[in-house]
Amino acid sequence: MNIASAKNSAPGPGRTSHRRWPANAVRALPFCYAAIVIVLVWQIVVDITKPDPSILPPPIDVAWTFGHLAGDGELAVHAGYSVARVITAWLLSGIIAIPLGLLMGSSQHFERIVNPFVELLRPISPLAWIPMAILWFGIGESGKVFVVFIGTFFPILLSTVAGAKGVDPVLLHAGQVFGCTNRLTLFRRVVVPAALPSIVVGLRVAFGTGWAAIIAAELVAAHSGLGYLIANGMDILRADQVLVGMIAIGVLGFLFDTFFRYLQAHYGRTAR
Amino acid sequence: MNAPLTTGKPLCISGLTKTYETRTGESMEALGPISVDVAAGEFLVVVGPSGCGKSTLLQILAGFLKPTDGTVSVNGEIITGPSIDRSMIFQSYALFPWLSVLDNVRFGLRRKTIPREQQRSIALQYLRLVGLQDFADKNIDELSGGMKQRVAIARAFAVNPSILLMDEPFGALDALTRRFLQRELLRIWQEQQRTVVFITHSVNEAIFLADRILVMSSRPGRIRAEWRLNSPRPRDLNSDQHRRLEAEIFSLLDEEVTKTFSWAT
Repeated sequence: MNIASAKNSAPGPGRTSHRRWPANAVRALPFCYAAIVIVLVWQIVVDITKPDPSILPPPIDVAWTFGHLAGDGELAVHAGYSVARVITAWLLSGIIAIPLGLLMGSSQHFERIVNPFVELLRPISPLAWIPMAILWFGIGESGKVFVVFIGTFFPILLSTVAGAKGVDPVLLHAGQVFGCTNRLTLFRRVVVPAALPSIVVGLRVAFGTGWAAIIAAELVAAHSGLGYLIANGMDILRADQVLVGMIAIGVLGFLFDTFFRYLQAHYGRTAR
Repeated sequence: MNAPLTTGKPLCISGLTKTYETRTGESMEALGPISVDVAAGEFLVVVGPSGCGKSTLLQILAGFLKPTDGTVSVNGEIITGPSIDRSMIFQSYALFPWLSVLDNVRFGLRRKTIPREQQRSIALQYLRLVGLQDFADKNIDELSGGMKQRVAIARAFAVNPSILLMDEPFGALDALTRRFLQRELLRIWQEQQRTVVFITHSVNEAIFLADRILVMSSRPGRIRAEWRLNSPRPRDLNSDQHRRLEAEIFSLLDEEVTKTFSWAT
């Protein structure tokens, strides 16, 4: 019967935040452990089967090549090309897919018109577009950006549509009751912010698919980029160079995903 | 259908009905006809069995649904859609999770032509009213259910509405928090002198809060009975008078619930 009794369920007003750095270090531990196991197994396989270095070089050789390629800046140049292509295409996709997805998600008419195109084109893998990209754009930058654009466009579009459609109807009602009387205000003040976490997820997933698509595109038609580095290594029978390229792809992909996870955790909910 | 009376009453419901088209093309009467006048500052509680259309009634009052027939007028004007003049407290809180506690309360004020500094001070004033002034900068996810509903109460009162609509606002809360918020709501209502339409299926809650209780029939929902309560607040639900009232309301509701079930089988 006491007023204070209901307050027991309430969380305290302040929360401690002094555990950030150790928590990050702890989170990195499983990945270090996995990396060590992979290198160990690799070394053991090399020791047991003694393969030709052009097929499987020992880890230490690859580390040397890595140091060499990183030291003279070649690795950074190739990585820079790949990253720049992905970011260009990914931004382009976002600029088009986010507004389009928001419109599709909030207007059934519009969705009915656009969705059939999306459903027909979406199953065609971005990799299947590579030959057409070469025919249309040649071997220059635009062809590769085009392929990555295809690869990043649909994940962003689909999660934006899902986000805009999935807005809790009661939030729309609340928006209307609290003064969003026309559709545009309701869209700006409720639909867009409510869909934002879902859009961030789409952007993150798209960056991953884009990163996969660019390597494939560069394998086929490029004179630069990490995909080219791998393809070139294969041509000149340098397995160590191929593996360096693969490691760079893995590490960069992992770092980007970690970065997006961080963005998602910190800004996915609290945007205006 | 009666011509709408242009009384100065804050809320005037006349001849309201709602009929739905089912998928097979049949029409199903969900509500009415209902006619009710609500006086300024009155706390009206509507009780009814589930599925009786009491939520439909509130949706029409809010302007989310159009009535099939009849009118709802607020201060003499027939309503045509949602308006900030009829603010609402929802069972699921319906707070905006991307905004801070303060910005949630400010949300409605921003849609009105109120200077920025004043929006902030009004929002803070209402947060103080619900005892959450220290939580102004918190995120919504950091609050408990009871605290969320207090933010929603602040948000609904802050926009200075003619009428407050409440759709089972305490239905999702635990019993203790619920008791606490019922008292809080009465305190704020007495301080602010607002007209309230409150929907619940809890008879106790109705007796604790209401100036007037309307009991609705099972579908199509009509007003089955009406009680005016004059006993002073805070009310003792264990007093003879309130126990008798509770028993009366329950026997009516039992009848209505039985009807629903025999109708369904």
